Amino acid sequence: MSAYMTLMTPMIDQDCLLAALADVGFGADKVEVHASPVALVGYEGSQRQQVANLVVRRRNVGHASNDLGFVSTPTGFAAIISDFDRGQYNADWMGRLNGRYTHHASERQARLDAQAKAEEAARRAALVEAQREAVVARAKKNGYRVTESRVGDQVRLVLVKRSY
Amino acid sequence: MRLNLARTLACSRANGPGERFVLWVQGCPLACPGCWNADTWAFERRDLRSVDALATEILATQGIEGVTFSGGEPFQQARSLAALAERLQAAGLSVFIFSGHTLEELTSPVHRALLAHTDVLVAGRYDRNRRMAMAGWRSSENQTTHFLSDRYGPTDAEGVPEAEIHVSADGTLSFTGFPDLAMVADLSN
Repeated sequence: MSAYMTLMTPMIDQDCLLAALADVGFGADKVEVHASPVALVGYEGSQRQQVANLVVRRRNVGHASNDLGFVSTPTGFAAIISDFDRGQYNADWMGRLNGRYTHHASERQARLDAQAKAEEAARRAALVEAQREAVVARAKKNGYRVTESRVGDQVRLVLVKRSY
Repeated sequence: MRLNLARTLACSRANGPGERFVLWVQGCPLACPGCWNADTWAFERRDLRSVDALATEILATQGIEGVTFSGGEPFQQARSLAALAERLQAAGLSVFIFSGHTLEELTSPVHRALLAHTDVLVAGRYDRNRRMAMAGWRSSENQTTHFLSDRYGPTDAEGVPEAEIHVSADGTLSFTGFPDLAMVADLSN
């Protein structure tokens, strides 16, 4: 029976980790995703003590291999890899996996940043529109004729009351 | 050579004839009661700009026919404004000044240097008891409009709107010009 080793990783986002696993050959059809950790299975078919949320079953790992797992912890996913499989899934492999994770995490952050920026722009546009409507209504109530123009991202309201 | 500014507005039609780039300088010793721009009285460092940089910015602004100096008291920074005005006039822009001083008070060489590059001067203290509604460029009756060149005349004041309100990208409202008090009160509530 091959002993499992647990390796803490800085990978905290499950979606990014799944995408990284897909990049290194373990696509969605090869990775089980469990909300609650399940036991890993050794090469002889016996359940092991180690549990994981993301499991690559041994049939997808290699001949005489054990399941690979990633268990969620408060500080990131911990990789659970047997001694036997660490020959192939070694530090270099973890480095590649981590590199792909970083790539996906960066892309995800960029998407989130763009989304936040768009939401902020929409919020500001709504605020400007509300201010504009309020000013126009009050100016008209006070007898002004209002003409409107836009200068860059500013709205300019020109107020005229005189009749000559 | 530098200027201490309170703020600028790249395009305004309510601060003189036509579209204008407006500078509000920082610092005024006159402190007229009821002044609209009391935040510009203090002689404290606010927005220091070089004359060169300002001239470049103003000359790059599309669609303006001139520049307006307001404040604060422009003649407190007459030397730098004169240098700026000279460059802008040479480029074809007109120069319009709102000052709390009367023309008769502006006698020093640096004052004269600025006046030499001024097309229109609205001069005199703001007197809130003599505030004028629809006063063109003057905000109180005692003030005088001096046409110091032949570029503009009294009829040019007729098309000037009483007020402008700018709604910035963050929703901030800024007023300029001379809206009547009822309007100001209504917008302030």
